Amino acid sequence: MQLLWPIAIITFKEGIRNRSIYGISLLALLMLLANFVISGMVAQEVSKVAVDIALSAISFSGLLLVLFVGINLMAKDLDRKTIYMVMAKPISRSQYLIGKYIGVILLITVCMSLLSFFAAVSLLLIKFGHPTFFQRFSWLMVGLSFFFTTLMLILVAALSFLFSSFTSTSFLTFILTIISYIIGMSLNDVKALVEAPQSVGITVSPVTVKIVQAAYYVFPNLSLFDIKLQAAHGLPVPVTYVIGIVAYTMVYSVIVMTMACLIFRKKEFP
Amino acid sequence: MRVSRIFPIVLLVVFIPVHFNIISYVSQANRNLANGDEVNVLLPSPILKITSLDYDGLVSDALYFKAMLFYGSTYVGEQQRKIFDWEYTWFYNTLTAATDLDPYFLDPYFLANGVLGWEAKRVAEANLLLAKGSHYRNWDYWLPFYLGFNYYYFLSDNTKAAEYVMQAAQKPGADPFFSVFASRLAYKGNRTENAIIFLEGVLKTSRNETMRKDYKIRIATLKLMLTLEKGVAVYKERTGNNPEKLSVLVEQHIIDRIPEDPYGGEFYVDNDGAVKTTSDLRYMKKENSKK
Repeated sequence: MQLLWPIAIITFKEGIRNRSIYGISLLALLMLLANFVISGMVAQEVSKVAVDIALSAISFSGLLLVLFVGINLMAKDLDRKTIYMVMAKPISRSQYLIGKYIGVILLITVCMSLLSFFAAVSLLLIKFGHPTFFQRFSWLMVGLSFFFTTLMLILVAALSFLFSSFTSTSFLTFILTIISYIIGMSLNDVKALVEAPQSVGITVSPVTVKIVQAAYYVFPNLSLFDIKLQAAHGLPVPVTYVIGIVAYTMVYSVIVMTMACLIFRKKEFP
Repeated sequence: MRVSRIFPIVLLVVFIPVHFNIISYVSQANRNLANGDEVNVLLPSPILKITSLDYDGLVSDALYFKAMLFYGSTYVGEQQRKIFDWEYTWFYNTLTAATDLDPYFLDPYFLANGVLGWEAKRVAEANLLLAKGSHYRNWDYWLPFYLGFNYYYFLSDNTKAAEYVMQAAQKPGADPFFSVFASRLAYKGNRTENAIIFLEGVLKTSRNETMRKDYKIRIATLKLMLTLEKGVAVYKERTGNNPEKLSVLVEQHIIDRIPEDPYGGEFYVDNDGAVKTTSDLRYMKKENSKK
């Protein structure tokens, strides 16, 4: 741990200095400002639309953060060959990789907390403007959704580490991470569709069904982290589910990071 | 000054005005191209669910806004609405998709009820959506209340109507007048009066300006019909028969004059003595108002 911490801190500092963070934050703030205009157009459920927009804005900017800042932190060391300097120290490759990952987790947590704070302020102001339309609104559920989004991003970041451990360019890592994100998010719905294709009047071959079912166990099921609907309507989520999601994030990240370490150990640097 | 210095400036001075001209011409020309309505494109719900990733709620909001803006754009002139039957089908499908993505979203159900029920007289579709809404939002009293009213007013199914309104009355926070209203609905008569009571209750909670405007005109028209119905009742009491025409009421000095239908139709009395209007409480298109 003593060896991991300096790497984590330096990764975090490097990430926070990245200019892209300003752009991403600005985008998030603009979306939160748009929330005032859009939720004002709704006749009944102002709270639902306001929460939808706030949570989606945070989730989208968090994804951009992982894709444009998180991946770069790993790739820059390889591209600029600064990794040689680190490798010369008495530290194993696995320690280096895990240290970086902890740094990225730190970066994601800090940025998400900051963005969530702004989102909460925007919700508070909208709530102040339309108090009668916030009857089913629950801060607990909104907070839980922010937390779940953060966990989801930590999982996606782990995947990006796995990809960067065997790809040669950061662009490839970027593409593979995006693809896994899309697959992870739509997996549940795709599985439901191929198992009951008559709902849209298509036929699906048995092979496709098998492939999708296999993918269901390989790729992370990111839609499990999406509780925006429950948050928007103040519907309850059991404590056991929250525990399950936290455990899922930890177990899946550990598996992915272990695989990343195994591959990274054998990697040959140019 | 050297030419190479002036040249870029000249280029900008010439091309910026040209740019404005071209963009206005092209967008005008684009509007005149023969193409289908962009508004009619809609993916099936299972596909929408896949493509919207984790933004289901946001897509649901967007579809609702699209339907609402479309309905708002169908006003042509003060009291004229231009909307085709297939546009109502699209409208229904869009709201169905919006509520597939987020079945707890209240606004699409309200919009569907107002437009599909009253305006399009596609009560079956409106009821389908209302039933879906009351299934998911089981704490909500407005949806079963609307459903009950539709059964009463449009489908003349008093038993079902009373059942749904009673259901609404039992939800937490329901207006005490619901249970009174439910017992009123159990009897056949007083259709117009009940409709006025219902709409005034709805108007109290509605915030959407387009819908409020619709409701106000509807209430005004129903009130005129109620006056005429009372006139018919007086006539029947005097003569024992239903009047053949409403003008008879004026001749008998029961009413001063036959009021004008705000929807552009004409009031008339049918064989059973019920007061009706040729507009059927919808804005009439001027070209076939003689129908």
